[in-house]
Amino acid sequence: MSSAKQYKNVGEDLWKTRTDKINGELFAMTYGALVVQLIQDYEDYTEVNKQLEKMGYNIGTRLIEDFLARSALGRCGDFREVGEVVAKVGFKSFLNITPSVSHAGPPPPTPLPGGGIPPGPSLIPGSYFTLTFDENPLAEFVELPDDALEGGLWYSNVLCGVLRGSLEMIQMQVEATFVSDVLRGDENTEIRVKLVKYLEEEVPLGDD
Amino acid sequence: MSHHLFLLSPNDTPLYSLTHQSSKPTTAPSYPLSSNLPSWSTTTFAGTLSALSGAAGLNQAPAGGGAPRIGSGQGRNVVQMIAYASLDVIEELMRTNPAMYLKGVDKFNEWTVSAFITLGNMKFVLLHDGKNDDGVKAFFTDVWDLYVKTMLNPFHSAHTAIKSAVFDGRVRASARRHL
Repeated sequence: MSSAKQYKNVGEDLWKTRTDKINGELFAMTYGALVVQLIQDYEDYTEVNKQLEKMGYNIGTRLIEDFLARSALGRCGDFREVGEVVAKVGFKSFLNITPSVSHAGPPPPTPLPGGGIPPGPSLIPGSYFTLTFDENPLAEFVELPDDALEGGLWYSNVLCGVLRGSLEMIQMQVEATFVSDVLRGDENTEIRVKLVKYLEEEVPLGDD
Repeated sequence: MSHHLFLLSPNDTPLYSLTHQSSKPTTAPSYPLSSNLPSWSTTTFAGTLSALSGAAGLNQAPAGGGAPRIGSGQGRNVVQMIAYASLDVIEELMRTNPAMYLKGVDKFNEWTVSAFITLGNMKFVLLHDGKNDDGVKAFFTDVWDLYVKTMLNPFHSAHTAIKSAVFDGRVRASARRHL
């Protein structure tokens, strides 16, 4: 099992050597133009949030292949490890940021009838990790206008979609939502990723 | 010493204006118009105002160091008129002078108009009294920097009024520092 330090090194190595880079301001301005256009088209901030998340989902389903090919990391042991890899390797290699991770899980269930041992906290559906961002390259120079603040816009909601899409491709159904955002005046930017369930491999129809 | 800043788009649309009372001491220029007026109106601003609009009936109640109520309609108009009257001169200078900071573009009684032309042809016009070239230049550079950052905000449309409270706060802080 790789330690946290190894993940950090893998992430840095990927960023330095195996990533093509573009100008950060160009990236931030492109995303900004996208969000503003969505707001003009939909005129409803909840809908804009949903659309950003859907776009992120589509990106995530494709991104995971690229990520696994470049990082060559194996399967994660538990959900806790998933959180570590996402923060230290994933975000580092794509956005050159390393959000800090904190893990939590639901309280352990009452002992199963028959005396079985409940699975470890990170395998139970309902456990989650929280990513805390101290910088957000998508939101450079952005100030939300008042009606966006009132309407409940999560500016970087595309990131939640990316997390959901990419983890779904590796058999984990998660919910990723923003908890707080500095653009909204909160103290820090946080995303909570909650495991809903592990997806079983489904047998394609007509195989037997 | 008070300063009035106006940011104007290339089409002369006013985008932002600010009035700042400086706490720095300044040599009070003596001017003949003030000799008959009560002492509270001998601040530079009030002096100009009285001269232009007639002293009778004006009720510029000062507070503290004679700071006039800038919010009053007449005061505002006069200041704007002086600033915008210098626009012709500024535009002429723009074409010939490649420098960005144009100091002392125009004078009106004791007011000096300084201008700063950004590379995108935005005009920053500062109405002030007293000499403070270095401070004014530093202030203009700061305002330019803040203006560029505001333009990078995707929610701000170019050449529209700048309503951001953050921008306003930062410009005021810069004014306090340099002027």
